[in-house]
Amino acid sequence: MLVLSGVSYRYAGYARPAIHDLDLRLDDGEIVGLVGANETGKSTICLVASGLAPASIGGQLTGSLTIDGETMTGRAVHELAGRVAIGFQNPSTQLSGVARSVFEEVAIGPMNLGLEIPEILERVHRALARLRIADLAERPPARLSGGQSQLVAIASLLAMEPRHVVLDEPTAQLDPEGTRLVGAALQSLAEAGTALLIVEHKTDLLDTLCRRVAVVSDGTIVADGPAGEVLEDPRLEGWGVEPPARVRLAAALRARGLDPATVLAP
Amino acid sequence: MSFYLTLPVAVSVVLVSVFTRAGTTILFTIGPFDATLQGVDFAAQIVIRLLAISLAIGLYGLTTDPTALVYDLERRGVSPRFAFVANATLQAVPSMVERATTIQAAQRARGLDTEGSPVARARGVMPLVAPVILSSLLDVEERSLALDVRGFSRPGRRNLLWSSRDRAVERVARWAMSAALLVVVVLRLSGAFPQLV
Amino acid sequence: MTAAVHLAGLVHVYPDGTRAVDGVDLEVAAGESVAIIGQNGSGKSTLVRHLNGLLRPTEGSVLVDDIDAAGLRVAQLARHVGLAFQDPDRQIFSGRVKAEVAFGPRNLGLRGPGLDEAIGRALSAVGLADQASTNPYDLGYSRRKLLTLASVLAMGTPIVVLDEPTTGQDAPGIARIQGVIGGLTAEGRTVIAISHDLRFVAESFGRVVVMRAGRIVLDGPPVGVFAEHNWPVLASTNLEPPPPALVGGRLGLGSTPTLDALLDALARRA
Repeated sequence: MLVLSGVSYRYAGYARPAIHDLDLRLDDGEIVGLVGANETGKSTICLVASGLAPASIGGQLTGSLTIDGETMTGRAVHELAGRVAIGFQNPSTQLSGVARSVFEEVAIGPMNLGLEIPEILERVHRALARLRIADLAERPPARLSGGQSQLVAIASLLAMEPRHVVLDEPTAQLDPEGTRLVGAALQSLAEAGTALLIVEHKTDLLDTLCRRVAVVSDGTIVADGPAGEVLEDPRLEGWGVEPPARVRLAAALRARGLDPATVLAP
Repeated sequence: MSFYLTLPVAVSVVLVSVFTRAGTTILFTIGPFDATLQGVDFAAQIVIRLLAISLAIGLYGLTTDPTALVYDLERRGVSPRFAFVANATLQAVPSMVERATTIQAAQRARGLDTEGSPVARARGVMPLVAPVILSSLLDVEERSLALDVRGFSRPGRRNLLWSSRDRAVERVARWAMSAALLVVVVLRLSGAFPQLV
Repeated sequence: MTAAVHLAGLVHVYPDGTRAVDGVDLEVAAGESVAIIGQNGSGKSTLVRHLNGLLRPTEGSVLVDDIDAAGLRVAQLARHVGLAFQDPDRQIFSGRVKAEVAFGPRNLGLRGPGLDEAIGRALSAVGLADQASTNPYDLGYSRRKLLTLASVLAMGTPIVVLDEPTTGQDAPGIARIQGVIGGLTAEGRTVIAISHDLRFVAESFGRVVVMRAGRIVLDGPPVGVFAEHNWPVLASTNLEPPPPALVGGRLGLGSTPTLDALLDALARRA
């Protein structure tokens, strides 16, 4: 379980905090979606939840990040391994660029942990199997499609065997096929017990994936609850978030005096 | 390739030393310049040394896989972070080229004339160079976060998946070359090679 | 009426042998808005880069505003075609928004009040009028993308080409871009865009061209392209019609590619 409590974070060199009064909880096996207009603090929340802010990028954090009951304040970056990992939207900056095959790429993380060779090999096999990309093992990373690269980047995170995974817009740069691939992979990941925090603009995707959704506006969380409820909140558009297609359709029908349930029955 | 690179240097050294070196034996004369035997000797020594260096570099390039070298160094005790930086640098050029190509295309699409007058082309330097630097810096920020997540900052050794085969032939060759070097140095110092002039 | 763009038998083979465009005939009239869709590798990016001369055909011809593109340099074609690239960080070089937007029109010879006016209008269109003195890197990624859009708008070209304008944008950003496209067509300018966002495509463009393996497989207005009888073709290129089209098809309402079309069809039936 990952808990952010009373968190404010100010980037180094900036006067105002990017996020403030933030409380967020992520339970095991849960997928939580994070939505909001751009520049409202979603990426900052990801960096804080992953511990990289402030451990890697500096800045000032007030409040606490607690993972499985242990507080993460003051810990070095490499102590985060196994607890939480973060993935970003651009697959090419996450691949190391020095691996000659996908297998090697995914193995880099476990190698850095100083594990013994048999353990490294097992972790790589497990990570590739979890995302169903074992058939890409021999492929050179340069010859992967966008969606495949993103899956390899996520597999590289999984090989660290974190109990919590934070993903900042994993499908932003992918085509519909790539988005489907990643969506399916994340679903099976959560089914296996990993806790996921995903930032996305694609509310249709979050509608199918997430158990809970939180809305970020102006540096803090303004709504947090079951996905169905939050995505149907009429205030979403005011927060700069586009509701899923089914919600927009139902709302538009009601606005015209039609009842969605009857009208949409086949 | 390294041979071709030394050619201009070699040619200019030869021209300068053959004709300007003070010496007693004059071979031939062109205008006010005398070509001396001492000049030829000096030039020959320099050229041979240049050749030796460039051939050695060329031989290294032909026989050594740089990535394998870096990992082997790591196995012998060099820090894993050095190994990564060295390897990443080796791979950096193709990605820099690709980045620069995209940037150049984007600026040409905005009317930057890469085929115009020198003045016009000089004005094009900032729009071509600045985005390369800025986007590389942004890139580096995100890359280093991604590396942190995968444990690159963890102190200590790691067990590498790779191992290089050290064949008997290669081991013998290494010993033989070291021995040959020793022999040559001893002979040179003991005066077994006479001066020509 | 002159054709803004006329591609005839266009083929493009890359040096490594990839046949990215495999025989394309396309005519776009002045003032049309066209979206080109298709999965990655279908040839969309290769195709549009012929419009301003960044790529030259291996076979076939490219006519822009009735002029043969073969005889013009990229900088000259930039007078006719403004191409906005996908990644803003691969073109921003200036420390001030205003100077960044000025680059394109300056290259085309604009100066003085004419230049200021072009910049002002472009910045207003994308909602960055109050950021003229800001450093582009103090803006977030999505506003930097809007900045590159403004940089192309300011060039005042009759044809505007957008490469993935909505990736990374939030809902207000996408609405802003839709407004820009509407404004361009109202001025009689031609808009061609590559996009993965099929909802944005169905709502904002008068014509949709679907590419697969270097060829055009569907070409027509959204109501035609996203109609049920074309779903197998779309599926063959890993595309799914936007949700309103799916709902409309399931309910037997005919082709309803946008929410408004679906609502109209439902209201008529109710």
